[in-house]
Parts: sequence; C-alpha cells; structure tokens
Amino acid sequence: MNSFWNRFSRNKSAVLGLFILGLVVFMASIAGLIYPDDPFLYSRFPLSGPGVNGFLLGSDSIGRDVASGIAHGAKTSLLIGLIATLAAVFIGVIFGAFAGYYGGLVDDVLMRITEVFQTIPSFVFAILLVAIMKPSIESVVIAITVVSWPAVARLVRGEFLALKNREFVQACHTLGMGDVRIMMAEILPNCLSPIIVIGSLMVATAILIESGLAFLGLGDPNVMSWGFQISDGRSMLRVAWWICTFPGIAILITVLAINLVGEGLNDALNPRLRERN
Amino acid sequence: MKLSNFMSTVMMTAAIAFGGAAALAQSAGGSLVFLVQPEPPTMAGYVSTSGPIGLLGPKIYDGLFDYDNDGKMVPVLAESVDVSEDGKTVTFNLRKGVTWHDGKPFTSADVQFTIMEVLKKVHPRGPNSFKEVNSIDTPDAHTAVFNLGNPAPYMLRALSAYESPMVPKHLLEGQDIKSAKLANNPVGTGPFKFTEWKKGQYIRLDKNESYWKEGRPYIDRIVGRFIPDASTRAAAMEKGEVLYAAYNAVSNVEAVRLNKEKDNISVTTDGYSMINPMALIEFNTKEGPFTNAVVRRAISTAIDRQYMIDTIFFGYGNPATSALSSNFAATGLHAEMPHYPATGDIAAANQMLDDAGYKKDSDGVRMKAMFDLIPYGEDWKRGGQYIQQVLGEIGIDVELRYEDVPTWLKRVYHNYDFDMNLNYFYQLSDPVLGVHRHYGTNMIRKGTHFVNSSRYSNAGLDALLGAGMKEPNAENRSAIYMEIQKILARDMPVVNLFELEFLTVYNTKLKGAYGSSMGAYSSFADAYLD
Repeated sequence: MNSFWNRFSRNKSAVLGLFILGLVVFMASIAGLIYPDDPFLYSRFPLSGPGVNGFLLGSDSIGRDVASGIAHGAKTSLLIGLIATLAAVFIGVIFGAFAGYYGGLVDDVLMRITEVFQTIPSFVFAILLVAIMKPSIESVVIAITVVSWPAVARLVRGEFLALKNREFVQACHTLGMGDVRIMMAEILPNCLSPIIVIGSLMVATAILIESGLAFLGLGDPNVMSWGFQISDGRSMLRVAWWICTFPGIAILITVLAINLVGEGLNDALNPRLRERN
Repeated sequence: MKLSNFMSTVMMTAAIAFGGAAALAQSAGGSLVFLVQPEPPTMAGYVSTSGPIGLLGPKIYDGLFDYDNDGKMVPVLAESVDVSEDGKTVTFNLRKGVTWHDGKPFTSADVQFTIMEVLKKVHPRGPNSFKEVNSIDTPDAHTAVFNLGNPAPYMLRALSAYESPMVPKHLLEGQDIKSAKLANNPVGTGPFKFTEWKKGQYIRLDKNESYWKEGRPYIDRIVGRFIPDASTRAAAMEKGEVLYAAYNAVSNVEAVRLNKEKDNISVTTDGYSMINPMALIEFNTKEGPFTNAVVRRAISTAIDRQYMIDTIFFGYGNPATSALSSNFAATGLHAEMPHYPATGDIAAANQMLDDAGYKKDSDGVRMKAMFDLIPYGEDWKRGGQYIQQVLGEIGIDVELRYEDVPTWLKRVYHNYDFDMNLNYFYQLSDPVLGVHRHYGTNMIRKGTHFVNSSRYSNAGLDALLGAGMKEPNAENRSAIYMEIQKILARDMPVVNLFELEFLTVYNTKLKGAYGSSMGAYSSFADAYLD
C-alpha cells in the first residue's frame, strides 16, 4: 500500500486531482448541513447576483440558491457517476470474462452483442433510452450503464484472452478448480488494475452524460443536478450569467479531477511503469 | 349588447376602417422576415388550429370577418352580416370581385362548402362554433344565408381567417379533406400567395397582385423562418435579421432585455385577446388524491399567482380570479370568485385541509400525488417546481413528471392516468368556444386533446352551459355565466392560475401589423416597412 501511494504521489497533478475530488465529496456529504433547505426552495429574490441578498453564488429565476444547488447537485452527480460505473463494470466484467475465457462460439455471440451496443453513438443512445423510459434518476443511471459497459467488456475480454493460457491458470486446471472459480478468483484479480483505471475514467464520463441529459431536459425534474442548473439558466445567460456559469465550473473541475486521479492510478498500477523504477 | 346594436357597430367600424386607411400613405415593397416557431406540419388551417399554421395561414386565406383591437368586427370577405329578429337566420353579404389565387371567382358556394363540409366536419373547434348551423342557402353568388337551429351569438366571434378560413370548393370537393393536396399547396383569397416551402428553413409567400383590397398588401414578400434554438432566435431578432416574433418565439427574459437595450425593438401584449390563454391545473376528479373539491380549493388558495407571473413570466400575465378570463368582462361574463387569492394564503389552505380532516403525518405530509407538467419548455418546468414547493408547505407531497408531448397527451387525454396536470388552454373569444370544452359532461371525450380530462360531470352545470350557449340576451347570459362561475369556484375541477400574456417582439421598422386583435394570426395586408 505504501509503495502504491509513493508511485501515485509521484504524479503531482494526480494528487491535486485527488485533493479536489476530496473537496467535492466533502461538499456533497455536508450539503444537507450547510444548506438544510430543499435546493428547489424558491425565494422572494429572483435573479440576485453573486453576493446579493445573501446568495453566495446568486439566485436563479425563481430565487433558488445557486450555491445550494451546486452542493446538492454534487451528491447527485457523484452518486450517478458511481452507481452507473459500478453497474457498467459489473456487466462488462461478466461479458468480457466469459467471452475471453471460453472463446469460440461464446466469444462470438457475446462480442457481437457488445458490438451492437458499440455501434450506436453512446450519447444519442442514452438520450433515446431516457426518452423511452420516463426521465428519472433510475432511467438516467440505466441509460449511462447501458452505454458504458461495452468498453469494459472489450477490455476484460482482452485481459482474459491474454491470461487464460498462462501457467498459473493451467495449474488451477490441473488442481481441478471450477471455471467460475478460476475466472473470478484467479484471473480477475490479475486484471484488476486496468479495470480500476477505466472505471475511474468512466465516472467522469458518466457525470458528463448525466449533465448532458439534464441539460437537454431529460434529467429527473425532482432531483437537483448541475446539468439541470445549466439548462435552467442557459436561456438567461445574457441577463444572469451566474446561474449556469458556476455549475459549469463545478462540472469542469470535478471531471478534470477525476481524470487526473485516473491518470495517477494508471501510473501507479501499471506494472510496466513499476519495473522502470 | 343587443344583436341589432352589435350590427350597427360592425357597419360603423367598417366605415372607419375604410375611411381611415385611405388617409394614410405607406411605402410599398420590401420583404418581411418573421419567426415561425416551430415549423408547421402543413398549412391546412382548416384542419388544425396549431400555432405555427395560424402564423402563416391567415396571410393566404381570408376569413369572413376580422376583429380589431377592441374586438369589433371588421369586414373581410363578407361586407356585412344581418341577424334576424329571432337570431336563427344569419345572412352574409359577400364581397364582389374576389378571386382565388388561381383566378377562379370566390362565391357563396365556397362559403357553404367551407362551413358545412370542412369546418363543421374536420376542424377541431368548427363543430362547436357552427354547431347550430343546419344548412346554408345561396340565393345568389354573393349571399350566404345561415339557417340556425338556435341563436348562436358566439358564432360571430369565430369568423376570422385563423378560426374559420374560407377555402376553395373547386380544389377540395370530392376529396378526403384531411389528406387533400391543398394542405401543402395552399390557394386562398388572402393578400399573399404561397410560393415556396424550404423544409427546415422557411416558407415564402409573395404579394397577391389581384388582392381585393385596393393597394394592399404593401409588402412584396413574407418569409416565415424556422429557427429551432431559442438563443439563436433572440440573436436574429437583435441583429434585425427577423422583424417580428410572436407567441414567445423570443423568450420573455430576452424580450425584456431587447426592449430595454435596443431602441428599434419593442414588445407588445396586444394581439392575443381573441386567443385568451389561461394557465391552469387540471385535476383527476374520478381517482387519486384530488377527488375531494376541498383539496382542490386548498391548492388554489395556496398558490401565489402573482409570484409565478413576476418570476417565471417576467411580469407578463394577470392572476386568474375565476374559471373565466377577465377578458370576458367586456361582455359581462366575468366576476371575481372566492378561493382565487392573487398572492396565495398558505395558512388558510392548511386550515381548509385541517378542517376537512386531512391529518399531517410525522413528516408533515397529508397526501402524495404525481404532478404532470406540460412539456412545452422550461418556463412550465419552473412553474411546476414552484408549485411543488408550495404544496409541500400545505402537506401535499408531489412528484413531478415531465414527458414528451405524445406520451403526455396520451396519458392525460386518453388514459386519464394522472393526478394533476399543469397546462394552458385558449379560452378564445367566447366561453362557448374555449371554456365549455373543459367542463361539460359531453366534453368527456376519451382521446380528444384539450377537452374535459378532469371527467367532471355536473348535470346542473351542463344545463347552465347549454342555456349560456343559446341565450341571445346579454344580461340574461351574464346571469347564467355568473352561476356557472360560482359552481366552478366551488367544485374546481380545474384551478385557473393566471391569464398568460404572450409577447410579440417586433422591430419598429415594421408598421401597420398591429391593428387586428388576431395579432400574429392576422393577414398583415396593412403591414408595411418604414
């Protein structure tokens, strides 16, 4: 663990990313404490600029606090990013593992299915899915999962293909271990590093997709999110720049931070880089 | 107003309109580019009352009459109209020498065909407007005699080019009206002829050189442009690329800014009184949490209507005070009713629910409900979010639902699968035309959009609606609608929120386009560029 941290911390920007991400997570976790009111709560002071009428980052057209929206929206964005990624990784690992391990017909069938999903542009596909289901937090998570898992499946398949004929796997076969146990207990731990890296980057993508959907009016109208704030404020950009500028900055630095952390993880977990030391 | 008085007003208005026009000297020529949002599906104004069709149709087709900003009738294809003493025979004297854009003469046969075969059969509101018309006689080519079953004073409010366009019999007869080619190649008698439709970009209309009105139209060409993005529309207006944008094609917030920052751009709320739009909440009165009228009254009491107008619509609108719009006050059909506070009274609403025995649980929740929002953009979403907060304060926990238009229409008007629904209706120029459809038992029409989705049914009210429809005497009619409003303020199957004021944003270069109460749905024959 110590050596991992040493390798990770060698990448200064990754540490910065981790710090920013930590701040965002902290903000999300205390959102309910610093802004106990519903972020949708209207007030009598619409379109107040930053610092005016006690609104740190201004208020929107029906007087909702932009700062409160950002704090509560952080929770939504992170949660959606995390859940969608976990679900996508889960499905992707299963598809990839079976395809790579068994090969042949199983591989063909599973990979053709994966390709069907990959041929559709992911954001358009996500819009379509949310439009078919009703816009809600569940349908957004499902849509992001559905468009994200094929990349994981591809990656895991490649790793399994490379590992399945290695000596330690052969040894497991001779010991009489079952296929599922070999896959999950032996091969999977050995390809965890690239999965973690791709997973971390997928969180960032998921946050962007969620914001994009909310921006297009396909978010859950009951849940505050950054994308919703931007979409709500966009038409007033010339009159009240702060409504969509601050959530935009929040998305920018969060996604940037997650990408930096992902890069750092890549450096720290990549065995080839490890040998170079 | 007695009908005979009404008629003399019509004639006087006609005289003023003609006399006044001759005194002005306008510059002719030029192109008028204006915003049409969204792109219309067809140009068949005789089949659909859809907004974008209304922006273009009345430039191509004429009606029998138009209405000025005071609501007075202005002769168009009909030079005058006589209503018999018993109100059951209405005679239109048609203008002579009018031709269709293809050169064929316009005659009383066209009027007969339009009303009986087109508007009464395929138009969304025509069956209502011309319900009492049993037959039309055409003693000569320029006289059309409408034989009514009962007096129908409201019919004379539905004769504009938008509401009842006159269409050519020779191009529609013997065809399926809904699928006739005329829909995309319109041929009317109006001031402009259809020239070109570039899908996704614009519709172009050119001056009708043989228009019946001497010297009109002034403008050589009208181009209706389609710009899907709201910010781009505002920018086009700001740059002077388009000169006219009605029905909030430029959003209120941008309109207010342009009006303030630009000397050559103005806004007006004129031109919508015949449309008379009302924002409202429809309730499911048969199932779900809102079957009890007390709850509906409490909701009406809690909502701060003025706040919604000020914040969401930037001050444009008037708080509703009854089931009928205050625009009907001119004809004596409006009165302020209880449970319509302009600024909302949360305490009173809570008290009403307490008294009715709706207890709050430990979370302060009395009941839960689903709230559907009209999917017409973010203004309505914001409105829904505001109402969600307010209802939370009176213990009604609502979840918002925002779907695409077909799903929403099907849910509300076909499946009745909703609790409460944010919407707006056009109340039009008479309650018979725009309001009855909301409340009558005969208007519970599964699958028909924008009718009685509350499934509210009250025999007493039905009788009053029927009486109001037939009553020719203004005073008696006023008394009938007073009763109707009282019943509706008590039962509230629909809670009216506010009278919407649509904004027209225009470049001051465009003049003469504002004389009709049909506003953007008028012919623009008198419009000119300065």
